[in-house]
Amino acid sequence: MLTRILQLVADLRHRARAVVRRAALERELDDELRFHLEHEAEKYERAGLPRVEAERRARVAFGGLERIKEDSREARGVMWAEHVARDLRYAVRTLGRSRGFAAVAIATLALGIGATTAIFSVIDGVLLRPLPFAEPERLVALSYAPPAEPFSPRAAMFDWSYDEYRRGDPLFERTASYSSIFMTMTGSGDPVRLTGAAVTPDFFAVLRAGPQHGRAFLAGDDAPGRDDIVVLGDRVWRTRFGADQRIVGSVMQFDGVRRTVVGVAPPGFDFPHKSELWIPLRITIDPHNTRLMPVIGRLRPGLARDRAEREFAAIAARLPLIPDQKRSELTAELVPLKTMVVGNVQSSLVVFAGAVTLVLAIACSNVANLLLMRAASREREMAVRIALGAGRGRLVRQLLTESALLGLLGGMVGAFLAAWGVRLLLALAPAGTIPRADEVQVDPRALAFALAVSLFTALAFGLVPALYATKRGLRDAIGHGARSIGSRHGALRHVLVVGEIALAIVLLVGAGLLLRSFRELRAVELGFRPEQMLTTSVILSNAKYRNAASMQAFDAKVLGELAALPGVTAAGAVDWRPLSGMLMQGNFVIEGGPALSKGNWADKMLVSPGYFAAMGIRMRRGRSFTAHDDARAPAVVIISQSVASKLSGGADPVGRRIAMADHPEAEDWRTIVGVVDDVVQRDVKSPRDAAIYEHYSQVPQRFWLENMTFVVRASTDPLLLAGGVRAALRHADADLPIGAISTMTDAVASTTGESLFQTRLIGTFSVVALVLAAIAIYGVLAYAATERTHEIGIRLALGAGPGDVVRMILRWATRLIAPGVALGVLGSLAATRLIAQFLFGVTATDPLTFASVAMLLATVALVAAWAPAHRASRVAPAIALRAE
Amino acid sequence: MDADSLELPQGTLDLLILKAVSLGPRHGWAVSERIQDVTRGSLAIPQGSLYPALHRLERRGWIKAHWGASDTNRRAKFYELTRSGRAQLHAEMDLWRKLTVAVDLVLDMT
Repeated sequence: MLTRILQLVADLRHRARAVVRRAALERELDDELRFHLEHEAEKYERAGLPRVEAERRARVAFGGLERIKEDSREARGVMWAEHVARDLRYAVRTLGRSRGFAAVAIATLALGIGATTAIFSVIDGVLLRPLPFAEPERLVALSYAPPAEPFSPRAAMFDWSYDEYRRGDPLFERTASYSSIFMTMTGSGDPVRLTGAAVTPDFFAVLRAGPQHGRAFLAGDDAPGRDDIVVLGDRVWRTRFGADQRIVGSVMQFDGVRRTVVGVAPPGFDFPHKSELWIPLRITIDPHNTRLMPVIGRLRPGLARDRAEREFAAIAARLPLIPDQKRSELTAELVPLKTMVVGNVQSSLVVFAGAVTLVLAIACSNVANLLLMRAASREREMAVRIALGAGRGRLVRQLLTESALLGLLGGMVGAFLAAWGVRLLLALAPAGTIPRADEVQVDPRALAFALAVSLFTALAFGLVPALYATKRGLRDAIGHGARSIGSRHGALRHVLVVGEIALAIVLLVGAGLLLRSFRELRAVELGFRPEQMLTTSVILSNAKYRNAASMQAFDAKVLGELAALPGVTAAGAVDWRPLSGMLMQGNFVIEGGPALSKGNWADKMLVSPGYFAAMGIRMRRGRSFTAHDDARAPAVVIISQSVASKLSGGADPVGRRIAMADHPEAEDWRTIVGVVDDVVQRDVKSPRDAAIYEHYSQVPQRFWLENMTFVVRASTDPLLLAGGVRAALRHADADLPIGAISTMTDAVASTTGESLFQTRLIGTFSVVALVLAAIAIYGVLAYAATERTHEIGIRLALGAGPGDVVRMILRWATRLIAPGVALGVLGSLAATRLIAQFLFGVTATDPLTFASVAMLLATVALVAAWAPAHRASRVAPAIALRAE
Repeated sequence: MDADSLELPQGTLDLLILKAVSLGPRHGWAVSERIQDVTRGSLAIPQGSLYPALHRLERRGWIKAHWGASDTNRRAKFYELTRSGRAQLHAEMDLWRKLTVAVDLVLDMT
């Protein structure tokens, strides 16, 4: 044992010396061998041979000098460290000599690795990593509701059902409900509007989010009189109160209501929807109304979700129904909380993942192709080096070092690309569509995976030709080898190129479909003209504005100032502007018609007289509102075209009366004074809405007037008016928090933001794929043309024209392009179904898109083929014939 | 090399070298000469292949080398057996003898 160890130590020391004293040892080896050869030659000379012959004999008896040197180096244990170092130096030198090859290979790998890592990092952060709560797998959302729209998992229960269920809940440790709120906090610097949630007392206990200071809510905190308390979020606590622990117990104004701060939520806790404050919520059952509310719960320990779901369904089936509800329309579900948080971004990310995987596959097959070609063109070099005594193992190792170097360099550049790509992805994604965005970072596992795939590709495809090149005999390789080998690997290369073309087509078709959808979305007739408009919203707090008149006075003052701003051609107000995500809808009753009709359903908006002019909504008949249509004047409405046609067919509805109440009293009837165009109110993918507009001055309830959106139309660049708009709001109410002032164009564009994001991303991927495929086609044909220079020379010498040569090479190209395109189209037919849900105004198998993409790819491919074809046709026959 | 010269069985070159340097320090050429003389040229060893073997044995610590003056007064690298090398030589000789005896027994079976 001891001798073993001593021996090992000696061995290592020897090896170390071999590495450190490389140059000296190399000299010694030369000296030693020269000494031997001289001695041997002298022996023959003494035997009477002439000196030259003696030296020759000595060399023959000795054997291949370089081979022996190489073996001796290996024997003295230089091998590992030094070989790696030397192979690396050599690899750097050879790659430096073929910079074009190296650059393309490294860039290709970097693109593949970078894009894949970025996408998968986002996916990991958003989809795969558990929620930042204790034992998140036990958290679910309870749902007993009509089925949600596809891809918008919205779990909810009717308040009646939940109230009944929680009385005898056997499945959960605790459950809680919540609803999002906006509150204006005053009394600590500028008034600020915060997103928050009203939550039932068990909310924090369900999520196990223990407060960092003070306490969370307790049972009974929701009782009237005790519920004037608030838990602050970590960010507000830090930014507004300098992380002062004495905040607990202090009193602050929220929407004019005094609330005592009882606790500060733990850092990073912002459930639901980036909440920054929480107040107690009491579930009160209204006998006349029901509403759907989100319910979350923590499953009892050891209870699996699927079993709990079966039991929940059984219990739900016995819960009392609300009037008009059929049990068959309700589904009982326990949705993992993460699914609910992640929401519909999941399907989008899965599509991105698929797309980026295709990019990686294309990148890898491109690198494989490059390596195969390079190996083929270096066969002679390899053969010569073998002939000169290089060991096969050494050559293989060296080629692999080169591949590994390429892979690593690609990986390094790719890692930078990934870090940049993650930031870019999150920045480009429309605001709020990627949940948990702040949890995303470059994922080392994703990077390692992408790097491993590319290294494997580089090594595998570096190895195959290396082994093959070094296996064959010397004569074979030096003689006619290069050509025969080329065509042998040619088959593999062709398959790779066909595959690349097919994959590129799939990506291009996807991008094409998304692009067409996006254009369709943008081309939707909105019913208003968003250009040259500014818009901003305010929320008037109940504390300051105690009646409708005070709110209307505020609105009138602001509107007056806005209209007087230089550059403003029209100013108006509306409670919820189109595409704001909020909406009031309801029934209407036509005078003389049936009492309640199912089809009489419309958006109900409150607007100011200038609204239609400011929005650019066309008046079809009658008049707009005026300042005279005030609270004392007869009640009037303006209806949109769809309501008009329901009301009177083609006849003029102006002068007829409708009511917004289900069972109208005498004072509920309002006279129609005008008809305007329908506008897109909900979202651009839905048809335009029927709408009924009331004058804001004729609405007596404070509740409907709390939210008001101002819109101004400018004669110049609307953003120049932002200062004026802000000033107008300040003059009317200095304490009012002012939200974002944006152009209407931006506001509209934000509703198609996700579509734009998808289009851009998949579009970028598909362009990359197209470029890579073009490079591959160019490479294969250029190589094939060089390889067959001889044949081309014969053809030219026998009278073929340059045109014939070009045609011949383009025919080869067709043999790659045609099957590639065919495969790609078939693949796309299968793949585009996955993005059907994102498409608008175009089907997943849109023939126009498929045809254009196939044409585009074929064109690009032929252009890529043109250069080598052209070059080959210009070869002088004499030179071509001499080429091997 | 003659057609009827013998191929050296794998691994025995080391044994021959150890034996050749066991009688005192020698340089590579002398080792080569020694082996050829003793075997009267019946073994087909390319002279060059000696050197990788010498370096391998040196790395294993069985022989050590120093530079000295040759009989023609030139700088040459001399190899000599180390203690562990001597032990190794005996072990290998032992092994070889046992092996040949065993093989002979098999071959002499009637």
